[in-house]
Amino acid sequence: MNSPSCSETCGCTSAAPVAGTDARHAKLRLVLEHASHCLPSQGPMGVFVHHNTLHAFQHQDFESSVIEAAELFEAEPFLTEEEYQNARSEGRILDEDIDAVLAGEPDAEVLPGRLSRRRLRRALLIPGVRRVNGLDIAWQIEEGDWLSHFRRDLPPASAHLLTGDTPLKLWQACLKRVEFHADLQPRTPRRPHEAVLAATGEDLDRVVHPPMIRLVGAYLDQGIAYWPMPHRELGLLAAARRIMSQPFALQRRHLGAVRGEFLRQQQQAMGVEDVVLDALERLGVPEAEWEDYVTAELLPLRGWAGMVHMLEKDVTLAPHDRIRCSLMEFLALRLTYTLAALQDIMGDTTSWRSQRVEAPNIDRLTPVARFFDAAQLLGLPSYELEALSGADFQRLSSEVVACNEIERRRLLHLAYERRHERSILIPLAKHRARPLSMPAVDRLAAQVLFCIDEREESFRRALEEVDPCMETVGAAGFFGVAINYAGLDDAGGVSLCPVVVTPAHAVREVAVGGHAHLQAKRQWLRRAWAKLTRNAFISSRTLVRGWISTACLGLLSLFPLVFRVLSPRSYGRLIRRLNRAFLPEPKTEVTFMRDDAESHDATTGLLQGFTEEEMAERVLSVLGPAGLHRAHARLVVVLGHGSTSLNNPYESAYCCGACGGRTGAPNARLFAIMANRPGVRTALRSRGVVIPEDTWFLGGYHDTCSDDIEFFDVDLMPSSHRGDLNRVQQSLDRARVLNADERVRRFGTAGPGIQGERALRHVQARAEHIAEPRPEYGHCTNAVAFVGRRTRTRGLFLDRRAFLVSYDPDADPEDKSLARVLAAVIPVCGGINLEYYFSTVDNEVYGSGTKLPHNITGLVGVMNGFQGDLRTGLPLQTVEVHEPVRILFIVETTPERLMGVVRANPELVEFVCNQWIRLATMDPCDGHIEVYRGGDRFEPLTGDEEPLPVTPDSRTWYQGKSGHLPLARIEPVCAA
Amino acid sequence: MTAESLTLLLVAAPGAAFVILGMLWLLGVGLSERLLANLTKALYLLLALVACALFWQMWRGGLTTVRVSAGDWFSVARYHFPLALLIDRLSLPLVGVTVVLAGVVGAFSVRYLHRDPGFFRFFLLQYLFTFGALLVFTADSLDLLLCGWELVGITSVLLIGFFQNRPDPVRNAQRVFGIYRIADLGLLLAVFLAHHWFHTASWHGFFSGEWPGHVNQLDGAAASVVAVLLVFAASGKSAQGPFCGWLVRAMEGPTPSSAVFYGAISVHAGAYLLLRIEPLLHASWVATSLVIFIGLTTASLGTLVHRTCADAKTSLAYAAQTQLGLIFAEIGFGWTTFAVVHLVSHAVLRTLQFLRSPSMLRDYHRVHAAAGGQIDPTGEQYDSLLPKSVQVALYRMALGRGFYDAILDRFIVLPAIALARLLGVFESHPERRSPPAAEPTAPPPSVSAIP
Repeated sequence: MNSPSCSETCGCTSAAPVAGTDARHAKLRLVLEHASHCLPSQGPMGVFVHHNTLHAFQHQDFESSVIEAAELFEAEPFLTEEEYQNARSEGRILDEDIDAVLAGEPDAEVLPGRLSRRRLRRALLIPGVRRVNGLDIAWQIEEGDWLSHFRRDLPPASAHLLTGDTPLKLWQACLKRVEFHADLQPRTPRRPHEAVLAATGEDLDRVVHPPMIRLVGAYLDQGIAYWPMPHRELGLLAAARRIMSQPFALQRRHLGAVRGEFLRQQQQAMGVEDVVLDALERLGVPEAEWEDYVTAELLPLRGWAGMVHMLEKDVTLAPHDRIRCSLMEFLALRLTYTLAALQDIMGDTTSWRSQRVEAPNIDRLTPVARFFDAAQLLGLPSYELEALSGADFQRLSSEVVACNEIERRRLLHLAYERRHERSILIPLAKHRARPLSMPAVDRLAAQVLFCIDEREESFRRALEEVDPCMETVGAAGFFGVAINYAGLDDAGGVSLCPVVVTPAHAVREVAVGGHAHLQAKRQWLRRAWAKLTRNAFISSRTLVRGWISTACLGLLSLFPLVFRVLSPRSYGRLIRRLNRAFLPEPKTEVTFMRDDAESHDATTGLLQGFTEEEMAERVLSVLGPAGLHRAHARLVVVLGHGSTSLNNPYESAYCCGACGGRTGAPNARLFAIMANRPGVRTALRSRGVVIPEDTWFLGGYHDTCSDDIEFFDVDLMPSSHRGDLNRVQQSLDRARVLNADERVRRFGTAGPGIQGERALRHVQARAEHIAEPRPEYGHCTNAVAFVGRRTRTRGLFLDRRAFLVSYDPDADPEDKSLARVLAAVIPVCGGINLEYYFSTVDNEVYGSGTKLPHNITGLVGVMNGFQGDLRTGLPLQTVEVHEPVRILFIVETTPERLMGVVRANPELVEFVCNQWIRLATMDPCDGHIEVYRGGDRFEPLTGDEEPLPVTPDSRTWYQGKSGHLPLARIEPVCAA
Repeated sequence: MTAESLTLLLVAAPGAAFVILGMLWLLGVGLSERLLANLTKALYLLLALVACALFWQMWRGGLTTVRVSAGDWFSVARYHFPLALLIDRLSLPLVGVTVVLAGVVGAFSVRYLHRDPGFFRFFLLQYLFTFGALLVFTADSLDLLLCGWELVGITSVLLIGFFQNRPDPVRNAQRVFGIYRIADLGLLLAVFLAHHWFHTASWHGFFSGEWPGHVNQLDGAAASVVAVLLVFAASGKSAQGPFCGWLVRAMEGPTPSSAVFYGAISVHAGAYLLLRIEPLLHASWVATSLVIFIGLTTASLGTLVHRTCADAKTSLAYAAQTQLGLIFAEIGFGWTTFAVVHLVSHAVLRTLQFLRSPSMLRDYHRVHAAAGGQIDPTGEQYDSLLPKSVQVALYRMALGRGFYDAILDRFIVLPAIALARLLGVFESHPERRSPPAAEPTAPPPSVSAIP
């Protein structure tokens, strides 16, 4: 619990030893730096970037990390034992999985010749221990059936061994032998809060938090408050000093001394670090314990502290007002308040350290009852138990204790993941062994590039089902073009690329020459609209303007209120129609060409657009790994994706992860324009990618929430391709109906009868509905990533649970493409998957709880109610159908080639070798699968217990079912 | 149907729905979410139709007042508890607002609360609330109004504490409950005193003629006392004057309940009460000036605090409080019709704003983009006229929410607790005064005792 081990290897540079006060300052900075690793690293919500919630632990292996973190954050490391046991009773975990997991764990003799640790653990996992709760043991004994008969679900062997014995005798034997170790001594408090609570029952956090939250909330505010905090430019602590030390102010209870504290700081002109050092001294915290103490003080408001920390690290994250943030100031403020309150309640500031905090009271009978349960499961009758020698009993008892709840959950989780792994890999291997017959055509009707996103899996499958002459390709949704982009209506440029990349090129959307006047009119109208809306917003809330506007105009809001709620789709249509009628839409183009070699923007330092060489580079980065080197279809459609929804602070979490939580539409558009340039094609030809003369690239956008699709720059397309486009359009239209149809099976509100076109209308309504907390399920249920040729997964029902990355190993002899692909895909998909994992296993601590009472604060985050901590992670509504397993990467390559690539990239080493993801390879030649088992060890996949059912189409397979579905092979019945 | 039976149907329907569903729930009958959703939509559709029919009947028949009496609930000596409803030109708009807004919020909640473990509980409470609110707006006497008033209060508290597994919502619900209790004392006392002094608490006993322009029949200091007590009660419900701090605490519940209670209906019940007793109010200069004073001070404090609120719902809560203060002041000044219009408009607008409060991020970014990244800075108007030091002091006051909680805790709650402790000394036995010693771990139950 104490120092999180991130401190050892976090890479923080220890300051060179300096003498005297400087050394203390340096040490303090280092301590805070270490402590800050435990804070959530989620920036302002407008851009939601999925990342590993336990990123700070990524340098150690997954299993020990989740357990250690669970202790630090008081969270759950895995699902509950009950959930795993339910999964076992549903056949989601098989007994052989548990055996296999136990076989991978170190074994030991417990009772020589009679009982091994493996057998003991197996007995405790199958059929599982009874939940023992100290409070109800007496009841179970006196009123329940504990002593009237043994457990009824015992394995036959154990039941047999127990014949002749009675529960009463066994219980008495357990009572006699199991010793009670009250080893939990009262401990020292970690922070004053615990001591004060133990001594007086007063909750210090409830005294300190409200003013802290208000101050920090007002300080970070990006534009909600009408009156921005005065003196904000001085920094949090200085502003708080000026404001909170005003005379004639009434402090809340126990905080009377705060004003004096602030005044003293001001008079002595104390720097921020001086304030913290002074507070640590007055609190009596010795230097050796600084880190634990500071961590303990930061964690109770970790959401706010984390936000301050994120904005300190990168001030550009602030969506509107750039504010100088400092975690040190946050800490100083907190300690100032803590000191004042502590002084008031306890009378001094150091006695808290001598207060003892009682350990939770462990019931004496609990260990007895646990052992009683274990003895039954093992088939250990009372006479044998009594006959055990002291040493034997000691070993047995400590083994039972060692296989505690967390340990059992860990084992069950591994079994849970193992079954998932096998239910994917075995059918996949079977599918690979029988390639689908592709229609015999000379040339594909079209190729469609999608994002690798697992939500596109069903869409791609649907499209290929609708039109077998089409091929779909998966590439990270920024399509290799990392840009800083400003659309026609945007105020400034934003990065459209994975967050780890900093774009070096700026691209702007502008109106085409002839449409400048339309653009001017549009801008004018939009400015007027913004003024009007802004005024309406403010004036509905203030005193005088509010008086007039609410009284006179308030009734007008009845119309949007009633229509938005009762008929969201028609309201959305009306708004779009009004927009079309009044807001001119100029034709636009993107400025992306750069002729000179170096043309930096004076202020941003960005390169203006791309040279043709650079463009060819970008196009190659997508076509190369995917193996699209020649013989392209006449039409290649590039679909970026995003998601629109209303009344949803988490909107960005549903957008394209490869575009940093934004839409990938501009990237798709730009990619297509680049790939169409003759110069680029010439450059590509010299690199081995030959695009036929008559191939045309077309950019488009897929909305994963409403399943709407639009195309860009259709007018630039030669008229010879109209027919191809028509065909693609028709197929996409049919595919999106199928896709919507497949999606609604997960939505409880859709009802059972909704199909086809109605399903499409349903998902469109979800996007327009202001009352919809689940516009879509986002990345929920993600579990697999396949990096390889589409032919390997084509015709395979993957249930929207697999990221599909197109990668052709044959075209990549030096593994250069693989290195590039994995470097992008593993952190992005792994981050998404781990964020979902943690938000699911403990939605209150790692996730943000239910969305329903969320309250947007400062435009940076959400909190519950009117003053609480910022909630980070994903809300309950987003993860409720998620199955928390680590993502299973299947890469079409050999183990040697794969590990060569992984070993060369430290970030991948962390992900792979510490097993934050699961990994397998599929041989490019014969398709055999090898599964990564830690270190450099791969293990060939054997066994055949998972079938690969065959279904004529996806719909037959999923219809009427709402749970997770196994893989299935889609083989259309030939119309013969 | 006659206007009378329509009125009865209007009030009884949500009450019946609550009772029936509540019984089913107690009996352990699990209703599907879909069924409950359809039931909710049907109920509010019915209520809306009934309200329309009622309006149509009254308008066509030229009726300005519909009185329905279902006799007395009970009688004790000279006291009768009349079950009488009244629909007039004041009740009708409020009934309309209640039905429409509760219906819209009901339709909203069907989606919003999908799969929430408290789905059933939420809708039960919403029916009960609708019943209570309709009772408040149609009661023909203070006695009956009190019933509705309490139902609105208790449902409001239960919905603030909707998320029962978290400490903060429950704690804040308790706090609001306490404040309601104190404020409702005013109403209770007013009912007692009205019966004591005037032998009536019904509107037609209080006033003659029809709203607006009905004439006060009570006078003297007694009437003034009753009026002041009712102002006290109304302030509690509408978060005014001495009760101006609780509205933010009510933001712990799910968004739609915040909308229907604190944006729309519940908070306006206090203003309705004042509108109803308006002639009585104006007969007493004390009550009149009290209403104006409370209204204006709350409005100014509300707008000051609102300026510094950095989160969507608190900001809306104080904005609502500000406008309610103005409505109080309008009533005090006698601008009755305008106050009704203001009340209705404000309720509709706030409901929409509360329901859309999760959109604030998107809305702000859109306006920001449309304005070309240049949003005019705010907070530079009146404030900038003041000297800088006064500004900071005002900001400090606003950030402390007018020091409301500090005053309440330090000067009301703590002394009250101290007093209770003091009084407790007289009641408790000496041995019970010391905190119970930590229980020793229970000895193992004697097994031999079991046959």
